[in-house]
Parts: sequence; C-alpha cells; structure tokens
Amino acid sequence: MRKFRFYIDFEKEEKWLNKMAKQGWELCGKSFIYEFRKVEPNNTTIKIDYRTFENNRDYEDYLALFKDSGWEHIAGSKYSGTQYFKTVDENGDADIFSDAPSKAARYRRLSNMYLITAISYLPVLIALITTKAIDVSWFLNPKLLYYTPGLWERTGADFWKGFLFETPFAVMRGFALMFFPLLILFYLAFVIKAEKHYKANLKGK
Amino acid sequence: MRRDKNLPLTETVYYILLALLEPAHGYLIMQKIEELSNGEVRMAAGTLYGAIENLLKLKFIQPVQSDDSRRKVYVISDEGKRVLKLDFDRMKHMIEVTEKMLI
Repeated sequence: MRKFRFYIDFEKEEKWLNKMAKQGWELCGKSFIYEFRKVEPNNTTIKIDYRTFENNRDYEDYLALFKDSGWEHIAGSKYSGTQYFKTVDENGDADIFSDAPSKAARYRRLSNMYLITAISYLPVLIALITTKAIDVSWFLNPKLLYYTPGLWERTGADFWKGFLFETPFAVMRGFALMFFPLLILFYLAFVIKAEKHYKANLKGK
Repeated sequence: MRRDKNLPLTETVYYILLALLEPAHGYLIMQKIEELSNGEVRMAAGTLYGAIENLLKLKFIQPVQSDDSRRKVYVISDEGKRVLKLDFDRMKHMIEVTEKMLI
C-alpha cells in the first residue's frame, strides 16, 4: 500500500507509523511516498532519525551501531535524511535517543537542510530576473504578461480573441514568475517550523 | 588561570572518554558505559552517534585502524586525556571539600 503524507513533526510521524504497524501495515520504503507491506499486527516501535552521509563507510558504521543495539533499519538511504528504524518492544518506551538535546538535534539538522535548499534556489531566481526571463514589474502590472502589441487598446470580439488566445501563455509567464519565490517561501516556512520543534524539544516538552 | 571552556564535562561525555581509554566501536562503548556506571547510564544509538561525532570535532577522540570493515573504532586522544584529567581533578576537589564540610 502507498500513502502520501508530509511531516515536519517527527513525533507525529512516528505516532502515525506505529498506528499503521498496529493495524498490520509496516513501513518498508519511503521516497516521496510511504510504502507499506502487510504484516501481522504487532507492537513494533518505529523511530526516526534525520541524517545525511557523505560516504558509504560512514553510513554503514551508523547502521551497524543501530543494528547492534537492536534497531532494524527499515527505510531511508545515504542521502534521504530521514532514517526509519524499528524494534520489537513490549513496553513501547524504547527510543533511539536517551536525552532531550540529542532528540531535539534532529530538528536542527532538518531545519539546516531546508535552509540550504531555500538558499540554493536564490541564484536561480536571480538568474531568471537578471536575464529578463521573468520580469518583476509583471507582479505590479499583470497586463504586461500579455505580449500582443496593442492588445489592451482593442475592443469587442477583436479584443476577446486576442485576449483568450494569449491567456494560456500569460498564465505560464505568471506561473514562472511566482514559482521560485513561492518555493523559497515554502522552504523558509519549513525552516521556521523545524526550528520551533527544535526549541520545544530542547526544553524537553 | 582561566578554566578550560570544555569543563565541566557532561556525565555521558565523561563516560565515553573513560570507555575510550581502550579502542572500541560504537556498541562496545555503549556496553562499557553501562558497565562503568553500574547500569545507571544507558545511551541510545542516536544519542551516542551524535556524541561521537561531536567528540571527533573537538578532537577528544580519534578513529583508529581496525579489522572490522563495517564498524569504526575510536580511541581517546591526548587532548581528550588532558580534558578528562582536568574534569577528574575538578570533581576530586569537590569531593574533598564536601568530605571536610559534610561528613
């Protein structure tokens, strides 16, 4: 079974995955979507860490440490960031973190990743503006999105024909104008949210 | 003289440094800490991994060659030993004055 969800709050995500396991759906892969396989309903505890690795050696060492201490790696890759581990635990209080600062630190790493992503889109936006591929004045005057000379002086059917013909292109130009600023804003919102979770967890909420 | 900025060490850092007086990989460090602390301190995998990463950055510990291809092995560095000794002296002093005044 496949499901699409988006989480910044690791605790909520863990809760959801544990609920799925109780219903007999165990996480077996995570890319853009969550993939589950049918299992006997069980008392699995799933915990999430957030880390990326520069090389296989570091990643193998990381996975070995978790395996040695009883955590099976069920989803995630070297670059995926989110790493999913499971253990069979009757009490349900097993954790991959033993203190609040380290439990909080995963949110700091997540927020850093979003910040780097947001910043990495800035040169793209600047390049689009400086090469005039998109024009900031479109934003103030959407009429400029239409390139047909004299379009706005036309009247009646002549106007509507030209207007409707060019509207799809104007919408595309408008979309190109908005796309990267919106993307950057979304990522910055994720940075702020992850930072909030970091601070709350640090205090050991 | 000003006190070393790394003092006082946290309980877990102190035990990790103590455990690494002999080379060990991650899981062995966990077991040693539990043993050294009479079962009082149990570090979870994610927490230990972050602590090791931090101690490597501070150069208190260093990686060593090992036969194990999957698990990295670490040992305390000279700088790590120096800081461990400083923290030991700090606590020893606290114990001495407390013994005089309280007991």
